[in-house]
Amino acid sequence: MRPKPLLLACFLLHFLIIVIISCRQTLWLVGHGLTMLPPAFKDYSERAETVVSDALAQNLPPSSPIRRALLTYLHIAGIERPYGYFAPNVPVSYKLVFELHYSDGRVEYEVPGGNTAAADLRLAALLDEIGRTRVDALREYLVKLLARSTWREHPDVEAMRAILGSRNLPSIDEFERGTRESYEFLYAYDFSLEKESSRLESP
Amino acid sequence: MESCKERLIRFLFPAQSGNWLTILRIGLGLQVLLYALSLKRDWIYLFAGTGEGLNGRALSEGLLSTESPVVPRLGWLVTLGSHVGLSEWAVLSVTWWFLLCAACGLLAGFFSRSSAIIAWFLHLCAAKSGGLVSYGVDNFMTIGLFYLMLSPLPDRYSLDQKLRKLKTKDRQLLGFFRRVLQIHLCLIYFFSGLTKSLGSGWWDGLNMWRALARPPFNVLDPAFVIRWHYLLPFIGISIFAIEITYPVFIWPSQTRGIWLALIVSMHLAIGAFMGMYLFAMIMIILNLAAFGTTLNWPVNRIGIHHSVSPNDNSSSHSILSRLGVNC
Repeated sequence: MRPKPLLLACFLLHFLIIVIISCRQTLWLVGHGLTMLPPAFKDYSERAETVVSDALAQNLPPSSPIRRALLTYLHIAGIERPYGYFAPNVPVSYKLVFELHYSDGRVEYEVPGGNTAAADLRLAALLDEIGRTRVDALREYLVKLLARSTWREHPDVEAMRAILGSRNLPSIDEFERGTRESYEFLYAYDFSLEKESSRLESP
Repeated sequence: MESCKERLIRFLFPAQSGNWLTILRIGLGLQVLLYALSLKRDWIYLFAGTGEGLNGRALSEGLLSTESPVVPRLGWLVTLGSHVGLSEWAVLSVTWWFLLCAACGLLAGFFSRSSAIIAWFLHLCAAKSGGLVSYGVDNFMTIGLFYLMLSPLPDRYSLDQKLRKLKTKDRQLLGFFRRVLQIHLCLIYFFSGLTKSLGSGWWDGLNMWRALARPPFNVLDPAFVIRWHYLLPFIGISIFAIEITYPVFIWPSQTRGIWLALIVSMHLAIGAFMGMYLFAMIMIILNLAAFGTTLNWPVNRIGIHHSVSPNDNSSSHSILSRLGVNC
């Protein structure tokens, strides 16, 4: 068998990295006030998160071989992400609707989706990314990706408006009183065949 | 007196049979097979970089390159294919078929190591190139396939052992990789439970409601969920309590079966009530491979172990468990 000390060293390093990544996420959540811990924990967590990030070579330049080697390992071992799914709270979800304008004045509405439930789960992850990002250019790029694929399915569409909104789920009490899911408008993008896109409105 | 290092080595390198590896191999084979089949109709749409696809690959791979240029991705295969005159569509289709063949190889245990490496590589390519459309299941599949690829294959129930007469020589190495999987699961559940426990919504049932009513996980009718709303706080607290205490209660033989049953039930419920079948399946496979073979299954009690060698730790586990000794 391979020498035990070598395996032991790999084992310790592997799990040290996993623990550090998981701790960093927990500290980040506390530091950003996303947990129910009192505000007194915020400063401490922010400082601790900086130290933990340093341990993951995050302070090194992107071209640093150490940083790149570490990130490569994280990706190939599948340990680059922490494990706080739906934590500390279930995040808001988003809905994207395309308003399709035809040359004869007809207007149709389409929600982007795949052919299967498995693909829909994956597209939901993309919608979350679109909704969460604070980078306007990235959001527009991602909406454009979905708009292009929708356009391919409806080649006779003349213009298209993409409307992004967040879903507001009612609380349990509200639901019992008859309130149902509502949408809060976030962004709209207009697309036409002549020009790429222009963002019309934002909150 | 035994030093800490010696105790650690004894814990990390127990001599074990390959039963857990058989479960992991067959389970991951099935997982990769269902992963490929479930995405068959959307494979080109999700991963094509031009033409008929979503075209998200360029961005995912671009972002990946800023982190590391040597992480596998579909773009490499497409470039390679273009040198021999293959279109992107053809390369992606061939990739899908290879993934399917690797899954079948894993299921049968035929060329187990090669199948594991191919499955890991191709799934990783898809997961990284489709980074924008990936979610938890991809991470756990990568973790499982990464460990499987490194583990001492072939296991004793594989066709490789039956037909090609290849043998696993090192039982301690088998034990080591099982420990790695076991400890990884403990960390996953502990941190998952810990971060959930910090959110007020897991204490008052609001997160359970949101998780069940949030598209695309809203498999159940919200009116049905509301009818049982008084149970939601209990279920929410139970979930993070089971997760946080997983590293404590999964090791002693007296509680292992209960915690394994609880965690498997939780994942079955996620699959059935939230529609995350593949996610549920990978978690159940990892759990059963890590801890499932050390349980006192009825089949063990009727004396199936006659062919197991004295070094087989799974039978030792079983015997010691019956005597109330923790493994």
